[in-house]
Amino acid sequence: MGSQRRGVASLDAWRDRVRSALSQLAAAGAVIVLFSYLSFASDAFISANNLINIGVQSAVVAITAIGMTLVIITAGIDLSVGSVAALAGVLGALLVVEYGVPVPLAIVGGAVTGAIAGMVNGVLVTQAGMAPFIATLGMLSVARGLVYIVTGSVAVSGAPPEFKLLGQGRLGALPIPVLALVIVALAGHFILTRAKLGRYAYAMGSNAEAARLSGIPVKRYLSIVYIISGTLAGFAGMIAASRVDSGQPNFGIGLELDVIAATVIGGASLFGGEGTVIGTLLGALLIALIRNGSVLLDINTFYQQVIIGVIIWIAVFWDQYRRRRAASP
Amino acid sequence: MRIILSASMACVAAVIVLASGCSTVTVPGSGPSGGPTVKANGPLTLAVVPKAVGFDFWDSVRKGAQCAASKMTDVTLQWDGVTAETDVTGQVNLLQNFLTRQVDGLVYAATDAKVLAQVTQDALSRNVPVINIDSGTNPQPDNVPVFATDNVAAARKAADLLADALGSGHHKVAFIPFQPGTVTNDQRTKGFKEELAKHPNLTLVAEQSSNSDPNTALSVTENILTANPDLDGIFAANEPGVIGATNALNQAGKAGKIKLIGWDASPDEVKGVTSGAITALVVQNPFRMGFDSVTAMVQTVRTGRLAASEDTGVTFVTQRNINEPQVQAVLQPSCASPPA
Repeated sequence: MGSQRRGVASLDAWRDRVRSALSQLAAAGAVIVLFSYLSFASDAFISANNLINIGVQSAVVAITAIGMTLVIITAGIDLSVGSVAALAGVLGALLVVEYGVPVPLAIVGGAVTGAIAGMVNGVLVTQAGMAPFIATLGMLSVARGLVYIVTGSVAVSGAPPEFKLLGQGRLGALPIPVLALVIVALAGHFILTRAKLGRYAYAMGSNAEAARLSGIPVKRYLSIVYIISGTLAGFAGMIAASRVDSGQPNFGIGLELDVIAATVIGGASLFGGEGTVIGTLLGALLIALIRNGSVLLDINTFYQQVIIGVIIWIAVFWDQYRRRRAASP
Repeated sequence: MRIILSASMACVAAVIVLASGCSTVTVPGSGPSGGPTVKANGPLTLAVVPKAVGFDFWDSVRKGAQCAASKMTDVTLQWDGVTAETDVTGQVNLLQNFLTRQVDGLVYAATDAKVLAQVTQDALSRNVPVINIDSGTNPQPDNVPVFATDNVAAARKAADLLADALGSGHHKVAFIPFQPGTVTNDQRTKGFKEELAKHPNLTLVAEQSSNSDPNTALSVTENILTANPDLDGIFAANEPGVIGATNALNQAGKAGKIKLIGWDASPDEVKGVTSGAITALVVQNPFRMGFDSVTAMVQTVRTGRLAASEDTGVTFVTQRNINEPQVQAVLQPSCASPPA
């Protein structure tokens, strides 16, 4: 009996691994198809400059989406990332412009802003018992309101040249936003595959009650997950601000949609318990490719939104199809 | 999703004072379709509603409106707006709330010409006079004047400026609109494209929207430059588009080489003109829009006489004229020296 149960457990683990590999395969397949198509359709697509651009253009969504992946694995959601990114961006810019804070400290300030917003989300979810959807929907509105209050609804500009480094600088040939993305992705991958936090996240998302009963301090770790999501949104907001050399009060309206889309396309399940950093990176890359390709081929903006929506449907349909097949004996 | 400035608190107080009945002379309009209610004296509360808060442009409208109110006695403004120009229902609700609160006059910029026409009708049927700023409604009632930029004419001029800057010979140009489907966007698109067609040496090779987001505009411009390495000129039709395009040109090392015609005049855009990254800016006069519309509204409420529609005009700002006094008055409007 005992050996049989172990056998089932290892079979389950093996099946899980195949499942997530399959969903990533789908995202990777879509990236490869689109990549091949674009290299035929546009002469300008395959060039070092354009590929670097795609990397930079995907960085803000991808970095935010890595935090979102962690949240979605716990069966939660963070709708506030766009507003939080904007709040971090304008506060970071204000610190530099109004208070003369050195740029590196201001970047930390932006990330801390995100962390605080994430902490509030975490408290609302774990202590006040709110559904993540509602808690972070409230934060979406609160953070955007704070953005307009602190800026008086006017862009914060006039920062010294080093403010541009984070978003526009390069280390050798590598743009800093891409470097930041690589570091965040490696850390995220490590957390999900090697660290206690990652194991707990999958456990909480698969079955919260079982996780609690097995002694996982669910509230603490769930809070940490939202803090990470907020911190990464804040950091991404600083990159976005640096890219346009100013804190923009209207940045990130609707960013959460691209971020959730990237995560879901990458194989994360909104039911919790599934999701990988590699999948999310592929999802973010796919969205950036669609936007890049649409401009290269001069496709109407409206069609771009339709295309991204359809790809989300396909990704979610694929996800459910796999589940049904896995569930049937 | 909207900010209520502390001004509204003061206004609530003003409304209470009104209700408690000071020495207000009120002459109701005659019949349902009669003119607006006339209040020859006593405190007035006007609602001024932009398309959205969050842009330099609307902030200048607010400054102009508040300047006008400060120069008249017993006039209180309630300034409030939604956070996205696309939040049409949000604006409808906001305006209806102002009507419920019985403001004496409504000055607003319509986020959607057709949807907001109904709100204007509601206001008129309550005898609340309406003035549209920046964007009117469809249909536009005869008794609702519009204080706005002639967007079509100004966008035509933008195409001419681009043609002048590029000179003779064949040139490729790109166009960055901001919110297809909105009246202002479509008017600028119409004016620009119609006039561009009169310059056969200019070819429009890309038309991509910024969604009024500078980061989107940046990515879009980068991608346009990738697709068209031999691009010669860009017209970006509002502030976020210009901010994004300027950054893209700077980062690609093409600032000044590719001629950029922009719109509006936020501090970063003005800096772009000074540095040479922006060839010319089409600058509206939002301060005057706010100032003149509020002045006209107070006159309408005090005398019952309707104001006439007004083209608040544009100024073309280039590196050459940027320091001239009349240009500076438009770029840095102050209540002490309001722009003409």
